[in-house]
Amino acid sequence: MKHAKAANECDIKVFSCPKSGNSLEEYEDAWAHRQTRTPVGIRVAVADGATESSFAKLWAVLLAESYVRSEVTGAEFFARLKPARRLWRRRLAGRPLPWFASEKAEQGAFAAFLGVQIDAHKNHWTALAVGDCCLMQVDNVGKEMRVVEMFPLQKSSQFTMSPYLIGSRSNGESLNERIQISKGSLRDGDMLLLATDAVAAWLLKQHEEGRPLWKWLYRKLSTPESFAAMVAYGRKNGLRNDDFTLVRVIHHDVPVEAKES
Amino acid sequence: MAYQAEISRKNPGCFLFLIDQSESMEDPFGGGEDGRRKAEELATILNKLIHNLCIRCAKSDSIYDYFHVGVLGYSEESCQPALGGELSGRSLVPIGELASKPLRIEERIKKSDDGAGGVMDQTVKFPVWFDPYWKGGTPMCAALKEATRIVETWCQEHPKGFPPIIINITDGEATDGDLVAEARKLTAVGSDDGSVLLLNIHLSSTAGPSVELPTNANKLPDQHAKQLFEASSTLTPFMVARAKELGMPAAENSRGFIFNAQPLHVIHFLDIGTRPANVHLR
Repeated sequence: MKHAKAANECDIKVFSCPKSGNSLEEYEDAWAHRQTRTPVGIRVAVADGATESSFAKLWAVLLAESYVRSEVTGAEFFARLKPARRLWRRRLAGRPLPWFASEKAEQGAFAAFLGVQIDAHKNHWTALAVGDCCLMQVDNVGKEMRVVEMFPLQKSSQFTMSPYLIGSRSNGESLNERIQISKGSLRDGDMLLLATDAVAAWLLKQHEEGRPLWKWLYRKLSTPESFAAMVAYGRKNGLRNDDFTLVRVIHHDVPVEAKES
Repeated sequence: MAYQAEISRKNPGCFLFLIDQSESMEDPFGGGEDGRRKAEELATILNKLIHNLCIRCAKSDSIYDYFHVGVLGYSEESCQPALGGELSGRSLVPIGELASKPLRIEERIKKSDDGAGGVMDQTVKFPVWFDPYWKGGTPMCAALKEATRIVETWCQEHPKGFPPIIINITDGEATDGDLVAEARKLTAVGSDDGSVLLLNIHLSSTAGPSVELPTNANKLPDQHAKQLFEASSTLTPFMVARAKELGMPAAENSRGFIFNAQPLHVIHFLDIGTRPANVHLR
């Protein structure tokens, strides 16, 4: 069970663990976050490497890192993946691989992706996704906890076994129809959750069935142990065995004087 | 609910192919003009399938044993394991071992897009595990008996796993007993996740019409075809969905059976049969 906290200025916490039965080295999700200057805020990304592809972890990491180091928030991000793809190929080049591994690598690695840029001054976010990594926004925290955004999937039934994924080898196919973009505004204290598919599907299902975990995620989720407890509870209550990654961002409105400075 | 078990390295899937190697497998396959023998075409299809399974299980620089695969050939008076080379005599082999021990690796020419609107020849590696062979009668019941013995052991060792899938490929009728009775004994074996699945493909020697994944025996022309229908398991819901994706006329109660199959049917059917359930490979 891994856990990371971002720089103190941002209230970001990342929780992750590999699927049951696998080692930490076999965990194939990735996440990254980075503070930005223009606009002032943060960029956060999660990516889910496809189990059935090879070297998927490397590709998921490259996607997440590329996003947080980039400045674009729209579909053009995917047109600028050439360096990441080159790096993926370079890491494999010259590696002696048996026939099946070499043939599999030729097919490329695949990953689902979600990137979110938060503009702390304007109090809004822009999200970009391909596949089934999800963003959930909860406002009115501390009271009834209203879910104001679920993106790009809105219901647990929309998760399938074959979401569209981004390949580490460009096959010339246009991604345009698969790219999803959404924007929203933020209020002080809003909670944004970025999650890979299994945990996102389960959180939505719990919500749909009247057992939302938003309050718990906001108030109690703080340590790797508390995340482990949630996963243990989930595994007994419909959480599919997969790699899990959950990034929680609590937005704090920047005081007016700070905005002006 | 049956057929939901996760396929993992701890609980791998089991595919056992029963291959008719009787004399009539020497005849041309379907309505093909190139006159390829059924036995030769089938060997190519099966080698390609094992190849694809190896690629599916390949993970970075290694291979995960998600599946154990066996091939039994039946001809003359008996049924024997049909994998060659270092794997001779083995009934079931983990996919990683299969990948590392083919009989030989051939180089074959594949037509591919040249990127300029044309077609070019590309040399590709073609591992071979299984060579064509044909001789004598069709002891299909002996094959089902041997399969029953193998899956009984498998299910004892993997009681919580996805039940084994047996795919029988034949161009004829059993010459050694009551096929339906033997099939019932085989499908009476199972794990906690359901009964063994027995799927049957009947190969065509002509270009005649085929009957794909029927829900009843009404359109089948003779007693032998009806017996194969009776001997076939109902497809799992996931197999039905996969069959529909491949454009095959599958319904909720479709049996895993094709009568008078052409080569493409065999390829599609094997694809369906080796994608057992709505599960991720772990």
